[in-house]
Amino acid sequence: MRRMLRLFVPLTIVAATLVTAMIAAPAESAKTFDLKSITLQQAASMVQQSAVIVSLVAVWMLAAVALTLMSGREVRASSMEIRASALHCFTVGLVAFTSFILTAILFSYLIPYFIGIPLLFALAVFGVLTKIYGMVAMFHAIGTLVAGARSREQLAARKWFRGDLAMTVLGALILGAIRLIPVVGVYVWWIASIFAIGSALATKFGRREPWFLAWRPAEA
Amino acid sequence: MKTDSCLRYLEDPEANSGHLADCAECRALFGEHNVPSKPLALDALPLAPWEGATHRAWPLVLGGVVVALIAAAVLCMIAGMTPLHVVENSFKSVQSMRAFVLTSADSLRDASRGAQLAFAGAFLAVNGVLVALLRRSPRGIDA
Repeated sequence: MRRMLRLFVPLTIVAATLVTAMIAAPAESAKTFDLKSITLQQAASMVQQSAVIVSLVAVWMLAAVALTLMSGREVRASSMEIRASALHCFTVGLVAFTSFILTAILFSYLIPYFIGIPLLFALAVFGVLTKIYGMVAMFHAIGTLVAGARSREQLAARKWFRGDLAMTVLGALILGAIRLIPVVGVYVWWIASIFAIGSALATKFGRREPWFLAWRPAEA
Repeated sequence: MKTDSCLRYLEDPEANSGHLADCAECRALFGEHNVPSKPLALDALPLAPWEGATHRAWPLVLGGVVVALIAAAVLCMIAGMTPLHVVENSFKSVQSMRAFVLTSADSLRDASRGAQLAFAGAFLAVNGVLVALLRRSPRGIDA
């Protein structure tokens, strides 16, 4: 049984990676980026894309500031999890993303039976909340990795460039800037999203509680 | 641990250090050989994640948000886009995912019984692995 599980888990993770790659792959237009043969229309389209990306980054920053002010401790706990066990977060994110897609297909299948619509709506709300929370934790993790204080002296020397809020905003700026790079930015943002979903779920939204209670018989 | 003197020692060991010489029981429990008496060098300890975490760097936050908002407004102006266009464009990926899910559901409805069972198997397998992965407690500060 254990040997089967050992084989089963990596296979599922590989399958999850393939499904995620299939769905998350950027559009064909993004793959054929060649600066030399660019037309005026393509350039205008690129400016429009950049405008959309920068606007989204601004919205992400506002969301990050609000969420960090509301629950900074939870965001910090999830951010620590990304740095402490990155591979686990990535694996959870991949499998969770695949699970979201498969569950969405199943609920869409149930739409003619009416129960599908509320279930699909609940799944969408849960997915969006997971992504938003996880991305804020990811911003915090990136900000802390890049500019976090390494020692107590360094922390004491900083007058304003410290704290959860500063790290989150810095992380959002860095990831937003990377997102602007053609082709690479899309992939980096998607990988960050997978990490984000994984960290949010692995830490139960920073609460560090178990998702499932273990059953033990009461002792006499 | 029976006398008031013992309690006073427990409450403030440094002020009542003479008590150890008088009480054999406390000496056995808290004597030199049992309790490490090295002073803690707090600065030598690694920086805890929560240290300085509650500091709110408003200049950086406001600066960052304002810069991002101005950059977005300028780019939208250059591209001749209204906020409605931005919202529509930002939902493109969501719409493509929605289309993928609905098309897959339609295909599943028309698929053979075997394909539907295979989908059910994949659904159970992926969710089973997800539950197994979520059972692991987070490492966080223990790492």
